[in-house]
Amino acid sequence: MKSMYKKILAAMLIISMFSCSKELHRTPIGIITEGIPPTHESILFSVKSSYQLLSNTLNIIGEWGWDDGTVLRNDFILQDIASGDMQKKWSPDGDQAWMDQFSDFSFTSSNSGVKGQWSYDYAGIARANLAISYLTDVSTITNLGIDDAKRKYLLGQVYFLRAFYYFDLVNLYGDVPLLLAPLKNFNDAYNVSVRETKANVYVQISKDLVEAKALIPGGKFSDDSEKWRVSKGAVLAMQAKVALYNKQWTEVISTINEIEALNYYSLNANYFDNFSIAKEYAETEVIFSYNHQSLTTPRSGNGLCALLGWGFVAPTTNFINAFEANDPRLGYTVTGQDVYKYLGELNGNNKGNDDAASNKIYIRWADVMLWKAEALNETGSYPAAIAIINQIRARARNTVTVAGTLPPAGTLPDRNVASVSKDEIQGWLMQERRVELGFESQRFNDLKRWGVAKTFLTGLGKNFQDKNYLYPVPQGEIDRSGGTITQNTGY
Amino acid sequence: MKKLFKTIVRCIPIHVKPAMLFICCAIGCLFLQLPATAQVKANTTISGKVSTMLGEALAGVTVHVKNTSSTTTTDATGNFTINAAADAVLEISYIGYVNQEVPVAGKTSLIIVLEVSANTLNDVVVVGYSSQRKAAITGAVASVNMRDLDKRRVPDVAQLLQGQVAGVQVTQSTGAPGDGINITIRGVGTIGSSSDPLYVVDGLPTTSISFINPADIQSIPVLKDAAAASIYGARAAGGVIVIVTKSGKKGKSTIDINYFNGVQKVANLPTMLNASQYMNKMEESWNNSGNTGVNPYTTDKGRTDLANTDWLHELFVLGRSQNLQVSASGGSDKVQYLMSAGYYGQNGIVIYDNDQFKRFSFRTNVNANLTDRVTVGTNLQISNSIQDKISSSGDAPGVIRHAFLRPPVIGVYKDVTDPTYRAADPYTDLPFYAQNVAANGGSWNGGANKYEFASNPIAIAKYTNDKRSNLKTFGNVYAEIALLKNKELKLRSNLGVDLDMNHNKAFNKNYGDDDGGGSSLDAGTGRQNRPTNLNEERGQQTTITFTNTANYTKKIDQHSFNVLLGTEYITNYSSGISASRARFGNTDSGFQYIDFGAFPQDLWNGGAASEWALFSLFGSVNYNFDNRFFATASLRQDASSQFAANNQHALFPSFSAGWRISQESFMKDVDWISDFKLRASTGKLGNQSGLNNYNSLSIYDPQGTLIRYGNPDLKWETTNQNNIGIDLGLFKNKFSISADYFKKTTSDLLLPLGLPRVVGDVKPTIVNSGTVSNTGFELALGYRNYEHAVKFSINANAATVTNKVEKLNANLPNIYGQVSKTEPGHPLNSFYGFKMTGIYQNQQELDTYLNGAPHPDVKPGDIKFQDVDGNGIINDNDRMYLGNPNPRFNYGSNLSASYKGFDLNVLLQGVSGVEKYNDLKKIIDYDTRPFNHTVATLNAWHGEGTSNTVPRSTFNDNGSSRVSSIFVEDASYFRLKNIEIGYTLSNLFGKTKAVFQDVRFYVSAQNLFTVTNYTGLDPEAYNMFDQGTYPQSKAFLFGINIKL
Repeated sequence: MKSMYKKILAAMLIISMFSCSKELHRTPIGIITEGIPPTHESILFSVKSSYQLLSNTLNIIGEWGWDDGTVLRNDFILQDIASGDMQKKWSPDGDQAWMDQFSDFSFTSSNSGVKGQWSYDYAGIARANLAISYLTDVSTITNLGIDDAKRKYLLGQVYFLRAFYYFDLVNLYGDVPLLLAPLKNFNDAYNVSVRETKANVYVQISKDLVEAKALIPGGKFSDDSEKWRVSKGAVLAMQAKVALYNKQWTEVISTINEIEALNYYSLNANYFDNFSIAKEYAETEVIFSYNHQSLTTPRSGNGLCALLGWGFVAPTTNFINAFEANDPRLGYTVTGQDVYKYLGELNGNNKGNDDAASNKIYIRWADVMLWKAEALNETGSYPAAIAIINQIRARARNTVTVAGTLPPAGTLPDRNVASVSKDEIQGWLMQERRVELGFESQRFNDLKRWGVAKTFLTGLGKNFQDKNYLYPVPQGEIDRSGGTITQNTGY
Repeated sequence: MKKLFKTIVRCIPIHVKPAMLFICCAIGCLFLQLPATAQVKANTTISGKVSTMLGEALAGVTVHVKNTSSTTTTDATGNFTINAAADAVLEISYIGYVNQEVPVAGKTSLIIVLEVSANTLNDVVVVGYSSQRKAAITGAVASVNMRDLDKRRVPDVAQLLQGQVAGVQVTQSTGAPGDGINITIRGVGTIGSSSDPLYVVDGLPTTSISFINPADIQSIPVLKDAAAASIYGARAAGGVIVIVTKSGKKGKSTIDINYFNGVQKVANLPTMLNASQYMNKMEESWNNSGNTGVNPYTTDKGRTDLANTDWLHELFVLGRSQNLQVSASGGSDKVQYLMSAGYYGQNGIVIYDNDQFKRFSFRTNVNANLTDRVTVGTNLQISNSIQDKISSSGDAPGVIRHAFLRPPVIGVYKDVTDPTYRAADPYTDLPFYAQNVAANGGSWNGGANKYEFASNPIAIAKYTNDKRSNLKTFGNVYAEIALLKNKELKLRSNLGVDLDMNHNKAFNKNYGDDDGGGSSLDAGTGRQNRPTNLNEERGQQTTITFTNTANYTKKIDQHSFNVLLGTEYITNYSSGISASRARFGNTDSGFQYIDFGAFPQDLWNGGAASEWALFSLFGSVNYNFDNRFFATASLRQDASSQFAANNQHALFPSFSAGWRISQESFMKDVDWISDFKLRASTGKLGNQSGLNNYNSLSIYDPQGTLIRYGNPDLKWETTNQNNIGIDLGLFKNKFSISADYFKKTTSDLLLPLGLPRVVGDVKPTIVNSGTVSNTGFELALGYRNYEHAVKFSINANAATVTNKVEKLNANLPNIYGQVSKTEPGHPLNSFYGFKMTGIYQNQQELDTYLNGAPHPDVKPGDIKFQDVDGNGIINDNDRMYLGNPNPRFNYGSNLSASYKGFDLNVLLQGVSGVEKYNDLKKIIDYDTRPFNHTVATLNAWHGEGTSNTVPRSTFNDNGSSRVSSIFVEDASYFRLKNIEIGYTLSNLFGKTKAVFQDVRFYVSAQNLFTVTNYTGLDPEAYNMFDQGTYPQSKAFLFGINIKL
């Protein structure tokens, strides 16, 4: 009898232990837990997704992360609201109060916009780094049967994008961590969380752009079937912009001369052609933009139009007053409560549409021409500088207004070509950039690099302090790094 | 004479029976005085009935003839028959009641009334894989008084526990039918994991009990401390709630029917502005917003088409609930069975029938004694529940929220003469849509809107169509064999299955007015649910639990041992598929299926699966010396597939000891102390609920992009808990006290560690870091007095919890929530923001205060916040701690009383020392949009000295957009949760038993009154961030309970 008990006991234990250890070490299901070797598709995706952080598509990062500033890209807040051109809403209210903090410079390092822009740019860099790591692994690429021309064309794009994101970061935050490759594990995140000097980041930006220039094929578009991709002209323009921001005037001029020699770009006869959905990639002025499209899966529409529908994006009186009498550009920027520049059509149909087709424009020829004008003025070539400003003004006054009529004679008269006052010309230039590029997220950077931000903004009654030449590093980022990422002075 | 006596007994109405007991005994005594010659020594058949003092029949009562081996038990109607000599003495015993010796005294029919025992020390409590006598328990184990719980007419088992056990906080997440119940035992000790307890239903561990019909419950012991719970190891850190369901009893078959039907009514609604108050308020706000020109509200005040709608009144109607439970049970010596079927249905207090909850449940329980030593049995339940998911917690579309926001000047329905009126969608949507469209040349002009876009809550209620159904099969089969001479060794093998099938289906039909927005494909359609869409998900989850235990009991002189050894193997597999479609050509119910929405842009399908396994070895030793000293040691080893490869095994030991001082000889003479025990315990528990199956591994999306970095060192959270306690019974246990002090420290918290954003958009990696502590004191008091015609008992309990974050992580010094901050030295999720100190009364005060920077937007009448750093600028650096959402003090009290056939049961329950963020108040009274307000805003600041608490009315930001102390409110409450009055007619037809034996009628009311200072809808709602919760309602029920 006793031995039977023992047998039963033993059998029970064996049964229950039998299946155990094997069951605890099964291969994971329903999930990808190992870095899978890149495929042709995943490489193409890695490049395309590197563009995505330039878009105004809603919720590219997270889901309605207003507190993280990640619902959409924050350029219009950090540039246009901060520069005093734009205010949050048509009727001031308490919604998304963090945006108002750029109107009065009361933001701190925990502000959502400051957080969001940092997240966007670094997410873009991480995606570009992954694409670069794929595309620089030549043997894998060869094995996948991707020819070298295609490899170069793809790699050039992501070098450009990485430079683009870093350029935004140094202008906003100064010294920033410099990451050039994907991380292997999470502990590495702490090793790379150290700020690199702005100068060294610029070295990398220039290097990436030089690479991109060598890799991207010529032609107005680098790919005639996908015209939204980075082109040679875009790389050159970016090089010129980097030179401009570093006050390397002769380089600005020579680089822009190089673009001119390509003969791809000229001012559109009609100012609004830059922004019209109907004219996308069929006009001559836009050099680099994000290609928003409606009804795609996944979504790639312009979500800023939805915000317009919710009452966001309104001009300040000071901005409206900056336009000279009858300037047709005002109507394309603000008519009633519509911002046609953003809506891509001369009606309010897209207002409230979170999936609009209007592109987000980053670089266009008028902008580049004015860089050249600025460099010419700085180097004493006054007549050439004034000539460019007058070209911009001529195009503007020859554009029909929103109402479809030409402005009255005498609108936007030419500036005096005989002027030899650098300051006067610089004044004209500043004025022209403000109205030509209004709401295009250039203004705050311009005010800062001209060194007039404090004078101008305190003149508007804002509490701009010297520290505000840089935005604060997001406090969460300092915390997450355990303090190895440091804060900008004054915050 | 005997016959006469029997007749008398039979004729006595039930309600006088308790009183008759004394008389019976007296008569019995008289008989004893009769000459012995009148007695016959031979055994005769004696029948009897055992009932409570309230006249309720008691089933399963042991009836033993003293000094013989003859024993029987009562059947479900409390009747028994037994052979005994005329001078024999019957020993009557039943758990929870005072044992009685009843002399037969020559009678053949006995009426026995058992008295409820306050001394429940001999109760056997299921404490995990074994049972223990209550007197021998050394851990913090609370057994709930089921007699009180029987009087709760609630659909969810978890609700039964509310207010019953010290240190167990039970909160209804919202008042919506079928919404979840949260249970927190001894405070929240985790950040990234759930603090829910583990439920063990008939031996099967599970994480949900909402599928169980409360009427099927036999007992609910709660294992609060480490000594009691550590036998459940890595899943027990939130405590363990053991649920034992009813089983069949030997004896005559019985049928039990319980039916109730009730109504619910919304309570505690604030008063909103009526149409004219609203227009005046808007006019005032417009004037205060720096506008110039003609005030549009002044103009509109003259309109004749303004409605005066009380949206809250329109939204809330009477709710209905009903419950029917039928059970049959019985059995022989060999086989006992119980089967039950139940239906519970509730149609909530929101208009229309889209806030319903229904549950059908079926249960069988069979136990069979194959031989004297071998028992097999099964418990099986099938439960099907269907819940309407309505936006009950203020989430979109916000049916409750919009009833507060929508201006009263808009009607519920469009006028039939309105050109935009459609019979299929008669509700108003955009304010004065037709007029606006007409004035704007045929399209909606959003910019000219004066009455905001708040949706029509009645339309939301109408068009909500989101059903969540769950079909669950839950049960076990077991075999138990008793070995050795005195059956000291019991081997038990238990195989359990938990098969869970979910189906969620939401058909969101387009409605409302066309605001011109949306995609070009949807031009001309309404703005709500644009486009019409269907989301459907199906999921299936199978959990198999295989448990084997060996239990050895031995008594040597004064030493008693109980040794338990066991293994448990649990495996879980879950999978699901989901799909959504949009733009349905036909939206009739016959077309609300995936096949009928096939627009290429909207095709979306998904599917996934995951699995986990847990293998455990465990053992425990109980030692009892002379019923004076007790000690228990237990140890569990868990090996989990969810742990990382570097940390696959976890050990959870515990030790506890008790000293029953009242058993010592030196205490024998202290009459008034009937029981006195000291307890102490220490142990370790784990929590792995924050671990998803593959948290230790890096995961990628199909394109090869990293989603999250893994952590190969990941492990469970560890909770160390120490407990000391005292149990005291005074005056023959009439008065009882139980007190506990505990300290619970959870370390290695599973923290989602967000990496620096510089690495890109990756999800947080889970790491083990940080410590949270909870300390508290718990007290339970009981008093009963059954000595008079009015018999009553009171049980009361109270508990404190102090929560504190001790440590986080070097790379996560704090965690910000929407309105909260978690950092060491403060309670979890403490409210964090700006502190209001008053209202700026004039420009000079404002300029002096805000001297650090220009402040053109701040005006007199705006909210003045504390300038913490004193720099004359109010910015994020001026935020401070504003409150604590973790309840510090919970209490509850049960009173039951009876008088003759009447009985009364009252449950009071409350929470004190807790704050909530009333975000609904923010959007009603403090938003900058022209929403409706409560009448509180009639006292708004309107000039120097007019108010220092309510800021000026304005469409500009008067400071209210900030997270501030204005919205942090004391959410303490005291509630009459339940009151029930019943009347029992017993033994109606006596032995003839025509139709039924006992009938109890009852009326009950829930949430009859609430005392609170909280201005939101419901202080009890679980969320610390209250966006407008579906409120708990007052309920009135009538019920009947029939025993056949």
